[in-house]
Amino acid sequence: MSKTNDRIRILYHLARADFLERVRRYSFVLTMGISIYLGYAATTGQLEMRVGDSRGVFNSAWIGGLMALVCSTFLSLAGFYVVKNTIERDRLTRVGEILASTPMSKTLYVMGKVLSNFLVLAAMVVILAISGIIMQVWHAEAPRVDLWKLLGPFLLIVLPAMALVAAVAVLFETIPGLRGGFGNVLYFFVWSVALATPIIASENNRSSLFDWAGLSVIWSSIGSAAKLPANQFSFSLSIGNQAHAGSTFQWNGVQWTPELIFARLSWIAVALALALLAALLFDRFDPSKERSQRAISTPADSPVELAENLPPRTSVHAPPLTQLANRQSHFRFGAILLAELRLMLKGQKWWYAVAAGFIVACAATPSASGRGMLLACAWFWPVLIWSKMGVRETRDQTSQLIFSAPHPIARQLPAVWLAGVGLALLTGSGFGGRLLFTGNWRGLLAWLIGALFIPTLALTLGVWSGSSKLFEIVYTLLWYVGPMHATLQLDFMGSAPGIESTRVPAFYLACAAAMAAIAILGRKRQLQT
Amino acid sequence: MKLAIDGVSKQYAKNLWGLRDLRLELGPGVVGLLGPNGAGKSTLMRIIATVTRATEGRVLWNDHDIARSPDTLRAVLGYLPQDFGVYPHLTAIEFLEYMAAVKGLDARSARQRIDELLAVVNLAEARDRSLGGFSGGMKQRVGIAQALLNDPEVLIVDEPTAGLDPEERARFRNLLSELSGERIVIFSTHIVSDIEAIATDIAILSGGRLLAHGAPEDLLRAVEGKVWELVIPSAEMSAAKQQFLISTSVRRTDGVHVRIVAAENPGAGAVPATPTLEDAYLHCISNQRTSAAQ
Repeated sequence: MSKTNDRIRILYHLARADFLERVRRYSFVLTMGISIYLGYAATTGQLEMRVGDSRGVFNSAWIGGLMALVCSTFLSLAGFYVVKNTIERDRLTRVGEILASTPMSKTLYVMGKVLSNFLVLAAMVVILAISGIIMQVWHAEAPRVDLWKLLGPFLLIVLPAMALVAAVAVLFETIPGLRGGFGNVLYFFVWSVALATPIIASENNRSSLFDWAGLSVIWSSIGSAAKLPANQFSFSLSIGNQAHAGSTFQWNGVQWTPELIFARLSWIAVALALALLAALLFDRFDPSKERSQRAISTPADSPVELAENLPPRTSVHAPPLTQLANRQSHFRFGAILLAELRLMLKGQKWWYAVAAGFIVACAATPSASGRGMLLACAWFWPVLIWSKMGVRETRDQTSQLIFSAPHPIARQLPAVWLAGVGLALLTGSGFGGRLLFTGNWRGLLAWLIGALFIPTLALTLGVWSGSSKLFEIVYTLLWYVGPMHATLQLDFMGSAPGIESTRVPAFYLACAAAMAAIAILGRKRQLQT
Repeated sequence: MKLAIDGVSKQYAKNLWGLRDLRLELGPGVVGLLGPNGAGKSTLMRIIATVTRATEGRVLWNDHDIARSPDTLRAVLGYLPQDFGVYPHLTAIEFLEYMAAVKGLDARSARQRIDELLAVVNLAEARDRSLGGFSGGMKQRVGIAQALLNDPEVLIVDEPTAGLDPEERARFRNLLSELSGERIVIFSTHIVSDIEAIATDIAILSGGRLLAHGAPEDLLRAVEGKVWELVIPSAEMSAAKQQFLISTSVRRTDGVHVRIVAAENPGAGAVPATPTLEDAYLHCISNQRTSAAQ
């Protein structure tokens, strides 16, 4: 009994300390701001749920259902990125090494982290639940607030989904390959597929089996209330939609049967199972188990080995240093640029081979749309390299060394930017070369603007956020919605056929110029702390 | 060659000051910055290194305000921060080449200088190995090498001997001593013995304020006749700690041999002792605490 109490106490303190550490950071305020905005968007009608051309009356059930879907879809994406840093923070602050030396078990540690993640996500959910109550009072279509109907979907749909997100975030942090940028990018695709799976499965009436987000629970209940034939049933959730629904209907909420409640709560069991898997994979901060560490220091490189390899020291007097003939600083931009390029590309093993494959494929593909798609892939491949731009100095703690060197804004910052542009030009050269060869100058200009836009975005977000994560998320989203779906307005790469005759490239050139100025301001701010 | 710190203050929060109205004038030589944790040593060094801006006051390098024209100082500056990182995928030589480019060294000078510096910091054999595999002491030596890359006129080293083994510490002290002739070296530490041998000037900071500044001889003169050696029984040690300012204590068979810093003779059997810099430092800090308590 006392052992169980001890475990609960440790779990509580682990989750509490982690939660307090997070809520006292500015990033948490930003996160709450996003939640408040989503609540505001729902209240003011910018965020709308529709069935066909109609919507439900704004009663407690409809608002609860709407807000639950908002949480399940948006927070399951944004929330993951918000919470996926809890173990990483212990690693960076070295608190992890202290924790590892205590008798605390891996399972307890991981459970504490999952619980803390869940609390952060739940705090965001609470904001949206409060917004729901405000929303019902605001619209006053159905004045009586039925708390169970409004909050039931939060409890039974959203919280199990958030528990799953909390556990997946910790699982990603315990798998070395998914800990960093690759994991951030991969989650976006995992999330897209996982959200779409119940929709695909609904055709076989098996949607609830995969419906971790609880989407089908809501839409199947609303579908029955709207009394629409299955072949006319369409469901949408949109932000910023100005055209409002034509008619309304009454929906009194989900009928919570024991089977349905069991199905929803079973996702908490799945979250616990994932947490146990994470505990199994967790390295307990043992640096020798870190993949990156293995890559850097082979056994022969270990500090002990190195010390033994050094020549015996017989004197405490260092050999004399020759005085520099010319102490004056010389502006060698080429040297800084080369050094930045080397820093950027060092440690990439198979990266070059894939990049070369894209260059050749881009140059050789006859179809313009096929080439566009290949350029999108070629310019997605270096995402984890670009995402370190403007961040490296903070991440590797070299900022004091770099910023105390002469002209850090006029020399080092442009070198980082130009190295990023060089990488874009190189990886997209198959596409650019083809445009040059065919004399499509306007197309070439659009492509060049793309090559300027991407590293500028990376540098700006990196300098201001101090983390690679923001660029990885924003760029993946932009890339997926824009070039990959051939959305012309979002084709910042200039990859879509005919883009050169639109004003889209000029818009992204202006964006790049504005972002460059913002990046310089950000670096100035870093220098003047 | 003159570095003047003119009424510098640094405020971190409403009632939290890192430095208060600090005034110092420094010329060629090694200035040892001494002070307890949180005294403001690192804040002062970051301000001089142009990494942080002072809230009030100015730092003048050859009469140029470094807040207005930081690059006048940066061009001749070598800086080793207390906490710094390295790029783990680069080798020692690649990292130094990178830093040389950032500092604006020409290619030929950089190559020659890097070779020399790697020998000086005893890393010539490890030059082609990834920094990610280096021990803490080895990374510290890479930090020392990068600070010396541009043969700086102003060298700022914040706790440079942290993580170094005794042999490397001695080697580094000798190196600084040799380098100090024609440049200003600002050396921060709380290990008094590290600067005892090489400092030409010592500044003692506490609570963000300058308590004392002068040649080591001046500081020693201030405690002349105030240091005593005494043997006391082990059982009385606890009471003695409450009563006197004890700089060192060593247990022997006849009792505990203590060095006491006190204006008056602390008791029967006490014999006057030759003051050390550590005694002078403790005396200075203790005086400040006493006056602050009053």
